[in-house]
Amino acid sequence: MQVDRLGGGGLIDRTKTLNFTFNGRPYRGFEGDTLASALLANGVRLTARSFKYHRPRGIVGSGVEEPSTLVELMGEDASGNRPVTTVPLREGLVAKSVNCWPSPEFDIGAVNQLFARFIPAGFYYKTFKWPNWHLYEPSIRKAAGLAGAPVEAPKSGHFENRYAHCDLLIAGAGPAGLMAALAAGRAGQRVMLIDEGMQAGGSLLNRNLTIEGKPAMDWVATTVCELDAMPNVTQLQNATVWGYREHNFVMVNERAPEHPSILERNWRVRAARVLCSTGAIERTLVFGNNDRPGVMLASAIQAYVNRYAVRPGKRAVIFTNNNSAYGVAADMAAAGIDIAAIIDSRETVPDAARAAVPKQEILSGHVVYSTHGGRLVKAVSVMPSNGGATRRIACDLLAVSGGWNPAVHLWSQSRGTLAYDEALSTFRPDTPVQNAISAGAANGDLTLADALRSGAEAGAGGGKTPEIPASDDLPYAVEPIWRVEQARGKAFLDMQNDVSVDDVHLALREGYDNVEHVKRYTTGGMGIDQGKVGNINIIGTVAIQKGLPLDEVGTTTFRAPYTPVSFGAIGGIREGSVSLPYRHTPITAWNLANGAFMYESGARWRRPGYFPRTGEGFQDAVNRECRAVRNDVGVYDGSPLGTFELKGRDVDKFLDHLYTNIMSTLKPGRARYGLMLSDDGLVADDGVALRLSKDRWIISTSTGHADAMNAHMEEILQTEFPDYNVFITTVTSQWNNVTICGPKAREVMEALGTAIDISPETLPFMAFADGHVAGIPARIVRVSFTGELSFEVNVAPRDLLALWEMTLEVGAPFGIAPIGSEANHVLRVEKGFLSLGHEVDGPIDPYDLGLGWAMSKKKADYFGKRSVALRRDGTTNRRELVGVIPEPDRMIPEGAPLTPGGERKATEGFVTACVYSTVHDRWVGLALLENGHSRHGETVHVRLNEGVIPARVTPPIHYDPEGERLRS
Amino acid sequence: MTYDAKIDRLPIFALFDLKGPQEALSKWAKDTPAFPKGPNKLTHKASATLCHIGPRRWLLRDDLENEATWSASLNPEEAPADISIVRVSDTQTFFRITGPDASEVMSIGCTLDLHPAVFADDAVSYTEFFGCKALVLRCEHGFDCAVEQSFGNMIKDFLNRATA
Repeated sequence: MQVDRLGGGGLIDRTKTLNFTFNGRPYRGFEGDTLASALLANGVRLTARSFKYHRPRGIVGSGVEEPSTLVELMGEDASGNRPVTTVPLREGLVAKSVNCWPSPEFDIGAVNQLFARFIPAGFYYKTFKWPNWHLYEPSIRKAAGLAGAPVEAPKSGHFENRYAHCDLLIAGAGPAGLMAALAAGRAGQRVMLIDEGMQAGGSLLNRNLTIEGKPAMDWVATTVCELDAMPNVTQLQNATVWGYREHNFVMVNERAPEHPSILERNWRVRAARVLCSTGAIERTLVFGNNDRPGVMLASAIQAYVNRYAVRPGKRAVIFTNNNSAYGVAADMAAAGIDIAAIIDSRETVPDAARAAVPKQEILSGHVVYSTHGGRLVKAVSVMPSNGGATRRIACDLLAVSGGWNPAVHLWSQSRGTLAYDEALSTFRPDTPVQNAISAGAANGDLTLADALRSGAEAGAGGGKTPEIPASDDLPYAVEPIWRVEQARGKAFLDMQNDVSVDDVHLALREGYDNVEHVKRYTTGGMGIDQGKVGNINIIGTVAIQKGLPLDEVGTTTFRAPYTPVSFGAIGGIREGSVSLPYRHTPITAWNLANGAFMYESGARWRRPGYFPRTGEGFQDAVNRECRAVRNDVGVYDGSPLGTFELKGRDVDKFLDHLYTNIMSTLKPGRARYGLMLSDDGLVADDGVALRLSKDRWIISTSTGHADAMNAHMEEILQTEFPDYNVFITTVTSQWNNVTICGPKAREVMEALGTAIDISPETLPFMAFADGHVAGIPARIVRVSFTGELSFEVNVAPRDLLALWEMTLEVGAPFGIAPIGSEANHVLRVEKGFLSLGHEVDGPIDPYDLGLGWAMSKKKADYFGKRSVALRRDGTTNRRELVGVIPEPDRMIPEGAPLTPGGERKATEGFVTACVYSTVHDRWVGLALLENGHSRHGETVHVRLNEGVIPARVTPPIHYDPEGERLRS
Repeated sequence: MTYDAKIDRLPIFALFDLKGPQEALSKWAKDTPAFPKGPNKLTHKASATLCHIGPRRWLLRDDLENEATWSASLNPEEAPADISIVRVSDTQTFFRITGPDASEVMSIGCTLDLHPAVFADDAVSYTEFFGCKALVLRCEHGFDCAVEQSFGNMIKDFLNRATA
């Protein structure tokens, strides 16, 4: 039974009854209701408990400003801490209150009210310090009672992000926004009109005003219809502009797109111009016990009466300091609510306001100083502002209106400045920083006529302004009252965080006198509502206490999001397998089909780590793959290696500058290993350069640094040698390669079939040749990362899978095995080959690695040369690359520290890698050790939690130090 | 599929990266479509398309069956030192998104303004597509979008999710 539903009127659809459950009890509402309006229609007034003191709370607002009643939605709507006023009612909705247990009617946490005087603002900071705040945090959070995040993802559907662009983005489809859209749309501009409500109209939805002599909503319907017909106008309802970033980049959260599988959509809009027509928010008044259920914003009551046909009370008192409440009073009276009195803090009430309620008792120059009641207001106490006789007035509803604040949140996010307006007693937009404008109530144009005019002008943007329709509205006038001095009982400034006037006074007494500090000390203005109804009262309270004008106190910073946005909407479709980027080579499907254990191994490439056979563990598989390479032959996919083609007259000069060694002397058909340094003389990367012809080169970089080295080269070219004739083309994905390595590699190559002479005499180590392999156009390069005879067969990716499969087929008689990154790692450690991220970890130069031979003495200059020289002139102790043999034989974790004697002293180095060597049948490693080059034969000590491990220092090359095998 | 759009992963095209002064390139590469009149524009000649994609940089696209012909014609190995011609056919994976909702699907992944008033039939540009560097151009009833080949599977993954 909807006991407080009016017999007629409203914008609800009474033919569509909706069943819902709140705190376990079944109720009914209508299509078009919010959960808040439906609860009020059902006579539910006690809807929540407060955050800290667990005081009884009811519904205060009608929109995003709601400070008191947060709900947790259950089932398929699962989400936490939703303002009850922003939840559209739907069939089967299940919701419950937050901040209470077991129910709002009987809440165990209400015991906090007994200790309220002992737990003021800052109580937590002062009390829960020892031994650590985090020890107490979980239980305090639990006691606070806010709803947790849903534990399960929605059963169906997904979130979406999309990008959009427009000439004019209008935030808010109230009278100003609609007029602006008309003006800009008719002028042919690309317009996006975004509105947070379920339907357009803004404040007109809630008020009984006329435009051109007809109900204002008729004009809204006609306007929306005209805009709908414009292909250059996009209208979004139930969508909030929640963030305003640099360069007019605007975030929009569309909550229920008309799309069967999209839960929410987040728009990222780049707008040439942004119009903030976000309306205004009524502020509350501050007096004793101003938080009881039944104390509501006057504008909210107007919305419930006019839009939802709901009577939030039977006998009301109105407490105001401005004209707008008189229009509300008229609507309430028309809805059959008995208005006991209007309490106006102003000594003189304007005639225009009085005319709205001609027979109504008005107590001008009076204030409400306290309310009475338990779970619902039963009476209010009033007295003259200047003191005098008090009076108690019975009521079950108190409408409060403390004046209006332009909703400047978006404007402020755009970094536009605010200025305090004495006449309006509020902050309003002042100077824009981006291409933004403000119109309507958001600009302080608080009458309908002003809103229509300013909207039209803003939309026209200096062009033709459409005709402004005639309208009626009360003139706005206000006299500020930031708090009632005679208040009895707790006077709340921020109801969501239970912040009272006393809390702000305490913060000021303790020295937190900047308004931003007051906010952080008291938490006033934080939370879901971000202080939309109470922030300015906090500023006013600070101003009074400090004896300053409001503009000197200033505002706190407005930050995104304007209203809560779900993480899902921000993330969009980027979840699951696409949470992080990934790259594949053309044989990924083959790898997966053949049981490869795949993982990301640099630059987002997903590569096979190893190929376990049935019953094989990690180490067994890696050992088998290593033996295949050392004894027979192995094959791996080396495609991800960064590869660049360089062309131009000055490439050789450029490479001489880029690498530490000389490249310009290289003959076509030959390759050379080289090191590249950063400008501070540290190893940035290494790789091989191939000279194709006089002016054409191919160079390789490590997989993980390919993009960085590309940028490095371009930067050098564009900043230091802009006159060089050098073109760089990335060909990493044009040249994939199958690398065949091992003593039987040449036999496999011959079995594949090639006309290229691959004998060591014709194609020696560090040479290459173009031709065909297995009938596929290919470039064979004699380089080796494993220390064995290797043929890197480079082909176009379109041919990679065919070559790979043929290699395994013809290689089978030779015992060929596919090998993964893990075996490659073992083989290169045995050879003492460096790996970026292991041995090259940042502060390492070529001498540290024993690669001083690569530092050319002949070149006048190259990148990083001077920095190396400067550093080595001033440093005696360097960490140098050595081999380590753990004694006793065991694995040492990568990164394990080396300390003198294994004692608790400053480290003298660390182990960069430690692998099981199948050729030595024991663990071997590499390390960076202080003065390591002169300490071969010494025993050093690895310090681990479980104990100290001695390790013998050796040269870094554990296998084939003369390099005979790779040159074979 | 809830968007009325068709997603096709296209076979590779013949692609050649052309760099250098336009005069030198047009003198060497005689059979290409006419060089576009401005950056981020393209021109067609038969099945070939020439895209102006950066300062002193163009991309020639044609059907793969014509790759050998172009290789012979452009002759990258013998090109003068002051220009660079590199075959890059395999480096790009093209997706074709067509149908009434093609623009909507594009807007999920692409940051660029693809409105016809801004991005006309002769427009081409590098931009971003699901976080990857991507080349976008119009095709009949939709768009062609190319990403670095190794990201092809990921982009397909994204598109499947976007149109689920």
